[in-house]
Amino acid sequence: MKAVAQRLVRQVVLVPVVAIASYFLMAALPLTTETDAKRQVSRELAASYRRDLGIGEPLGFLRPWEKLFRGERLGTSAQGITGDELLTKLSGSVGVGLMALPLALTWALGFALLRTRWRKGRWSAMGDVVPAVAFGTPVFIPALLLAPAVVERGNLLPELCAALVTSIWPGIFLGTLVGDSLEAELSRDYVRTALGKGLSRATVLRRHVLPNVWPAMLDAVGPVATSLLAGSFAAERVLGLPYFGQLYVLAVLNKQVAVVVVATTTFATLLVIVSLAVEVLRYAVDPRSREATT
Amino acid sequence: MNRVPVRARVGLALLVGLGLLSLLAGRLFPEALAQTCPLGMDPTRPDRTVCELAFGGLWVSLAVGLAAGALSTLIGLTVAAVARLSGGVVEQTLLRAVDAVFALPDVLVVMVLQLAGQSLADAGQGGGLGPFGLMVASLALVGWAGPARMFRNRLATLESQEYVAASRALGGGGLHLLRVHLWPALRPFALAVFLSRLPAAILTESTVSFFGIARMEPMSLGRYLGTSYAALIYEGGGRVVLPAWALLVLLVLGASLASQALSGAPRRAA
Repeated sequence: MKAVAQRLVRQVVLVPVVAIASYFLMAALPLTTETDAKRQVSRELAASYRRDLGIGEPLGFLRPWEKLFRGERLGTSAQGITGDELLTKLSGSVGVGLMALPLALTWALGFALLRTRWRKGRWSAMGDVVPAVAFGTPVFIPALLLAPAVVERGNLLPELCAALVTSIWPGIFLGTLVGDSLEAELSRDYVRTALGKGLSRATVLRRHVLPNVWPAMLDAVGPVATSLLAGSFAAERVLGLPYFGQLYVLAVLNKQVAVVVVATTTFATLLVIVSLAVEVLRYAVDPRSREATT
Repeated sequence: MNRVPVRARVGLALLVGLGLLSLLAGRLFPEALAQTCPLGMDPTRPDRTVCELAFGGLWVSLAVGLAAGALSTLIGLTVAAVARLSGGVVEQTLLRAVDAVFALPDVLVVMVLQLAGQSLADAGQGGGLGPFGLMVASLALVGWAGPARMFRNRLATLESQEYVAASRALGGGGLHLLRVHLWPALRPFALAVFLSRLPAAILTESTVSFFGIARMEPMSLGRYLGTSYAALIYEGGGRVVLPAWALLVLLVLGASLASQALSGAPRRAA
């Protein structure tokens, strides 16, 4: 239990570290406004940026959060954001991520089973080719290929398409790990014994093998959830979804530095919450995890 | 060369072949490529063919990936060596820093670093880093954590070997062990780690450039697709997207094959 608590504390500490690091990095930016040739931001944006970041004030790094909690707008009126809008956009991205997670798990299980079947046949090279194709495919490429149907003709649900394109690489990555674990379990004595006693292959897989494979899957779910959330940035941009990813990219492009600070910290908090949830789930379903920590 | 596994040779040949092809076709003889391109002109740049832009972009992406991969591997190796040589609190602190960097997605951090770097460069405080150098530095700053963790674990494993224990018992210091005994065993692994960072760096750069945040000139593959993505959506841009996608996949396939084969290859006695 102590080890789990230590891991949790390490995760939680990440949030203030990210908040402070991103604040001071943004506050130190020399966003010049003086001459036309060197001007990086408009005078209006520069004024909002000093006001929002509370530069020169004691505890200025709390200012963006104070404004958000008061319901005030961060950034300029045209491109800024309020706390409610931030939460709405975040919930949109989380929704896409939640749709992508079961899709990724389906890809993972399907690929792991296929890889086990391909292992010794003439299709064995596919075990290398499929992960390379998935990894070599940035999210924006399948999104671009689907975009005409989604954006131009409006035939498909944009959120579902975003979840689909976001889930491919994390699903195959997870499938590779699960496939390795599946192969190791299938070669064990208890599997031979169960098959020898007359159980069907599907029953052995479902009843005996998969419960031993879940921990390997849970180990990788944290990084996969991060990939799903980060991957949705590109999908949202291409498919025109006005959620958190779109907000973040536009904030960086328009140098809305206070929005960048708040959005970065919010995203880090979300990642920590996901990690904590995975940790709790692992503790609940994997007896080896409980034994290792007692 | 016989000691290099076949899969690694295939992967390396694919990487070198793509590099040479993109250099020859995209940079040295673009006219020949323009005349033979079956995919036609780019929708947003009617004076350039799709093949010219894809191969030209591949060369830039590959150059960014090689430089960023090498730099992040070097930083990771240095951090791991310092951690193992120091031990104790220093090692634990470095490992926590590695965990913290590792927890955040590369794309997000690179976007923030690009914003900071571009603002500094615009204010004349960029330290001479152009868009290429800024991208390489950003990718190295987010990419060192993975290699550092891998090198640290491999060094810990190697240090438990008998020949290292024997050298230590004979009075060998930390630096001597690292230079004489550990580095020769670590060298093929370092190459594998570098090759594993290569596609990660290329894909992160592609995504950030696609968003229009990086100002890479000449254009990388991601920037090329990003600058014309509005046209791709409304005109059905499969013929523009597919060549860039195929080149990225081949690049990743080559790097993955070589990296996996080299990191899994048994080390022969000299």
